[in-house]
Amino acid sequence: MSDEEHHFESSDAGASKTYPQQAGTIRKNGYIVIKNRPCKVVEVSTSKTGKHGHAKCHFVGIDIFTAKKLEDIVPSSHNCDVPHVNRTDYQLIDISEDGFLSLLTESGDTKDDLRLPTDENLVKQIKDGFAEGKDLVVSVMSAMGEEQICALKDIGPK
Amino acid sequence: MQGFSDGITGADLAQLQSTMHTIEVACTSIQMQINPTAAEATILSLSQSPQRYKACQFILENSQMANARFQAAAAIQDAAIREWGFLSTEDRISLISFCLCFVMQRASSPEGYVQAKVSSVAAQLMKRGWLDFTAAEKEMFFYQVNQALLGAHGVDVQFIGVNFLESLVSEFSPSTSSAMGLPREFHEQCRTSLELNYLKTFYRWARDAALSVTNKIIESDAAIPEVKVCTAALRLMLQILNWEFRHDTNSMKAGINVFSAGVRRPECVLVQPGPAWCDVLISSGHVGWLLSLYAALRQKFCHEGYWLDCPIAVSARKLIVQFCSLTGTIFPSDNGKMLENHLLQLLSGILQWIEPPDAVSKAIEEGKSESEMHDGCRALLSIATVTTPFVFDQLLKAIRPFGTLTLLSTLMCEVVKVLMTNNTDEETWSWEARDILLDTWTILLVPLDGNGGDAFLPREGKQAAANLFAMIIESELKVASASVANDDGDSDYLQASISAMDGRLISYALIARGAIDVTIPLLTRLFSERFERLHQGRGIIDPTETLEELYSLLLITGHVLADEGDGETPLVPSAIQTHFVDIIEADKHPVVVLSGSIIRFAEQSMDPEVRATVFSPRLMEAVIWFLARWSHTYLMPFEEAANCHLSHDYEHQHQSIHSRKSLLSFFGEHNQGKIVLNIIVHISMMTLMSYPGEKDLQGLTCHHLLHTLVRRKNICYQLVSLDSWHDLANAFTNEKSLFLLSSANQRSLAQTLVLSASGLRNSEASNQYVQGLMVHMTTYLVELSNKKDLKSVAQQPDIIMSVSCLLERLRGAASAAGPRTQRAIYEIGISIMNPVLLLLEVYKHESAVIYLLLKFIVEWVDGQISYLEAQETASVIDFCMRLLQLYSSHNIGKISISLSSTLISEAKTEKYKDLRALLQLLSSLCSKDLVDFSSDSDEVAGTNIAQVVFFGLHIVTPLISLELLKYPKLCHDYFFLLSHILEVYPETLPQLNSEAFAHILGTLDFGLHHQDLEVVNMCLGALKALASYHYRETCAGKTGLGSHAAGQGNLPEGIFSQFLRSLLQLLLFEDYSPDLVSAAADALLPLILCEQELYQRLGNELIERQANSTLKSRLANALHSLTSSNHLSSTLDRVNYQRFRKNLNSFLMEVRGFLRTM
Repeated sequence: MSDEEHHFESSDAGASKTYPQQAGTIRKNGYIVIKNRPCKVVEVSTSKTGKHGHAKCHFVGIDIFTAKKLEDIVPSSHNCDVPHVNRTDYQLIDISEDGFLSLLTESGDTKDDLRLPTDENLVKQIKDGFAEGKDLVVSVMSAMGEEQICALKDIGPK
Repeated sequence: MQGFSDGITGADLAQLQSTMHTIEVACTSIQMQINPTAAEATILSLSQSPQRYKACQFILENSQMANARFQAAAAIQDAAIREWGFLSTEDRISLISFCLCFVMQRASSPEGYVQAKVSSVAAQLMKRGWLDFTAAEKEMFFYQVNQALLGAHGVDVQFIGVNFLESLVSEFSPSTSSAMGLPREFHEQCRTSLELNYLKTFYRWARDAALSVTNKIIESDAAIPEVKVCTAALRLMLQILNWEFRHDTNSMKAGINVFSAGVRRPECVLVQPGPAWCDVLISSGHVGWLLSLYAALRQKFCHEGYWLDCPIAVSARKLIVQFCSLTGTIFPSDNGKMLENHLLQLLSGILQWIEPPDAVSKAIEEGKSESEMHDGCRALLSIATVTTPFVFDQLLKAIRPFGTLTLLSTLMCEVVKVLMTNNTDEETWSWEARDILLDTWTILLVPLDGNGGDAFLPREGKQAAANLFAMIIESELKVASASVANDDGDSDYLQASISAMDGRLISYALIARGAIDVTIPLLTRLFSERFERLHQGRGIIDPTETLEELYSLLLITGHVLADEGDGETPLVPSAIQTHFVDIIEADKHPVVVLSGSIIRFAEQSMDPEVRATVFSPRLMEAVIWFLARWSHTYLMPFEEAANCHLSHDYEHQHQSIHSRKSLLSFFGEHNQGKIVLNIIVHISMMTLMSYPGEKDLQGLTCHHLLHTLVRRKNICYQLVSLDSWHDLANAFTNEKSLFLLSSANQRSLAQTLVLSASGLRNSEASNQYVQGLMVHMTTYLVELSNKKDLKSVAQQPDIIMSVSCLLERLRGAASAAGPRTQRAIYEIGISIMNPVLLLLEVYKHESAVIYLLLKFIVEWVDGQISYLEAQETASVIDFCMRLLQLYSSHNIGKISISLSSTLISEAKTEKYKDLRALLQLLSSLCSKDLVDFSSDSDEVAGTNIAQVVFFGLHIVTPLISLELLKYPKLCHDYFFLLSHILEVYPETLPQLNSEAFAHILGTLDFGLHHQDLEVVNMCLGALKALASYHYRETCAGKTGLGSHAAGQGNLPEGIFSQFLRSLLQLLLFEDYSPDLVSAAADALLPLILCEQELYQRLGNELIERQANSTLKSRLANALHSLTSSNHLSSTLDRVNYQRFRKNLNSFLMEVRGFLRTM
């Protein structure tokens, strides 16, 4: 496979969305692109193609945004795509009625285009924390043009 | 007592009948699955009910429902064991005799399981009272049993009698006994008493019972009831012979006796009952009777009711096999004459089962049962365990023109042939037979003495071994080439296939070494045939079959030529050292020829073209494995090893020394050794670079082959002078392909390269070398951390990969730190301290990188801490604390949010692993106080390690939730560290602030109630340390734990009061393993001493609560003797602790039974 295909520039970050990496070097807890989705690797196993053949890797990944389980088998010496996963911390200022979050960046600007997740439980976790009047920092994970909250951290009362 | 024979009033009767009815209903509803929980509760309440014994006996005698009777028996057992302590002697006896009479009277009852249960209740109660009953009381029971066994009351009663003895013996045998809440000593005493006084009598009774029915069985053509008795008696005899005899008075002497080679293989059961048993087992013609009984049974197999696997035949065969294991002082010291006669008698009986091998195997293939054949093999195995190869072989010569070894060989060849023809994955009879026979060979051939001297076979035996080995190889090769065809994709890995085959491979090697002068040339020939085939067929025919054959051959040859070593440097197997004496020229030595041909073959893998067609990753794995194993033994062996002399055969010695020397020195430093080493390094480098993504192969190269090399100093000397080794080091720092190795291999390679520095002349050179290896990593990390846009750059996948890779390498290098390279590694660590903290910050969301960072630091601190001077220690500790604080600030109060439960639980696991690493870091810091090599020993500038560790623990503990403590390893580490610092530094505890103090004690209390024995033990240890520290200090007029002990603020009670309460609660009312009692006693004693007033009060409360006046006084007495008997004093010395342990044990035995139930 050629590397060119995967090295497209994304408009906002100015960095590649994915990088090629040899399949054999991708380990559990790392990231991988399977079926064009960014995944976290939860299981890697190797086997051989035939008794005297070459090694191949069997990946089980979980889509970091949709939580769907995806699988892929790649010869160990071939390259896989690894997504560029970025995480940024913001302070949570407000949750608007229409389901958007109001966030404060490190540089003092505000970011208002992040939606609450769709899952009820996650929304509840975020809203409850916010309602308790805690000072919350949210970590936003972004990869391949999507973004989502991945962690909350309580940094003391407001 | 609520004896049943007492008059029953009408009201009683009605009451009993209603109880019986309730139980019967409950039993039915369990069977019908209607509300089973309630029904179970009803049944359980039976053993607690006020008239329990009476009710149970009533049910046993009157209920029509077998299940209800079964439950009643169980209830008697339950209640009696619990209340044994306060049943009167008459009650005890009457319960046992009730059970015995019950089974005897209903001997013909069709519900065997009820009978068996009642029998076993009687047996268990008998054991419970064994040490209290007088000889006359026991005699009374046994008279009844003996009468039954004599057959006076008919066959059924006879059977019941045997059955009861079976239950009794199994109750007394340690592995099958019920615990009954009693200490080990009790069981031990019962065991000894039974073995010395009763076991032989029981055996005689069983034998007589069997004898009494033998004639009837032999004479009758059909199955008759007597068969049941005979079977049970045979089973009882077998059970008794399975007893683990300990009181063979002369067993110490027997250890020296060659004929009782008890040390040979502990997993083989040896029957060593001692001289007292000679009359029953040997001299009375007992074996002859047994053999003729079985022979008679064999005649009957065509009749109705008998077949090869009918119970009586099985029991008889098992007993015969057991007799083959008889050894020890039961045989007089007559040069083994009597043993030989005994074995010969057995062997001639057994021969019919296995001879002639071809006819037997044919019959089995045609549908005959294989059990007789298997038992025959087992008998050979047993005989082999109690004899030497020579005696073993001689046995058969008395009745056949050939020896037993030849028979063994033919038999096994036959089995291997069958295996070869129907090669399936299913476990067939031939599998099992092969395994038993292989075990037999192993036992015969495994070195007798610890010095590695192989057992020598007689000449004929050698031939037998050679034939067998040829057959084995043929079969293994056939299996190998056939396996290519039915490849189902999931091919097994080398390590897996070796470990699966290992037992077999070791046995194969022993057989091959038994006829080494034939088998080595055979292997050489087989290899060269296959090399030839590959060479000629290249590009024309598919080589896969040949590759697979070579794979097998390499594994087998590796085992034949060299031993595993298990961490030590294995010597050349003595069979190889002592044979080939007539070889003068070293390069003609068959072992040299064989090794040479394999090495030359391996070398061909350097050619890319040959590599592509021949050296598949799998074959290469076998090659690397072979090279590792071979070089460990043969490559540059120690000179002393070459000169060591074995004094086996004095006349041959001169010649054999010469041949051995020439073999050993051939691959030595001054001969071919360096050349071969160079080849091996080249091959290793090639597998690392030219087999991209082949993790297993590369893993073998790193962990197995290269590690084996650097483990030996004389090889390291040579390695560092080789250009190829420098090439490898260069490639390590510069070559991109080596950055693609998997993490574990990366680490291992770094470690190997650093370890090889021990081959350099001095520590200056070593440090320089290590620095050269590592500088690229530190530079990279320093430069990266200095980047302005570090935050965004760091998250790029390629940067993450490089950082991970470098951290793995650093960790590998850190773990290889030795005295000589310590400086260099220290400086590497110091130079990247700041980058590490920066990376910890930028990767706070990238758990995989964080873990690597932490592991590197743990490894580095662990390797360095004991060497550091005061100043350095201070800075390292300061760094560690900053690291801990930073980690904690990133993680405390953080919640991962994800839709995926898998990812959430992964996040938890990652956190758990991090915390474990942090605890390990603290443990390493702790070790500074124990092991310290630094030059300034004065403590002036020294850091207070205890404070540091407490402080660290204070940072870490809030991160450890009770949820995380469910991970057993983390839990262990945590409590290990906690109990360690509480034991070693109790004086630091008072300096903690009250919040930290409360947290630590809270976890201690949590740990006390943990299910894990080890954790509870550690907590008890910590408690003991704290309480005894406080007690000693206060006795000396100091404050000890001061305000913490006295209680303050919102805690009105001091900590010791709390723990005294909770420990007593645990000991008296909760479930715990009896193994904890000693540790609990050690903690309880100082607690009582610290809080004497409270203890008095608690004791009084306990007594007051007791309504029953008898129990009240018992409890009061028990409490009194807990603190006063055995001259217990109020000091905390060893003797006093020991006394208190004893007191507590008897206290608990006395009172726990009723405290817990009433």
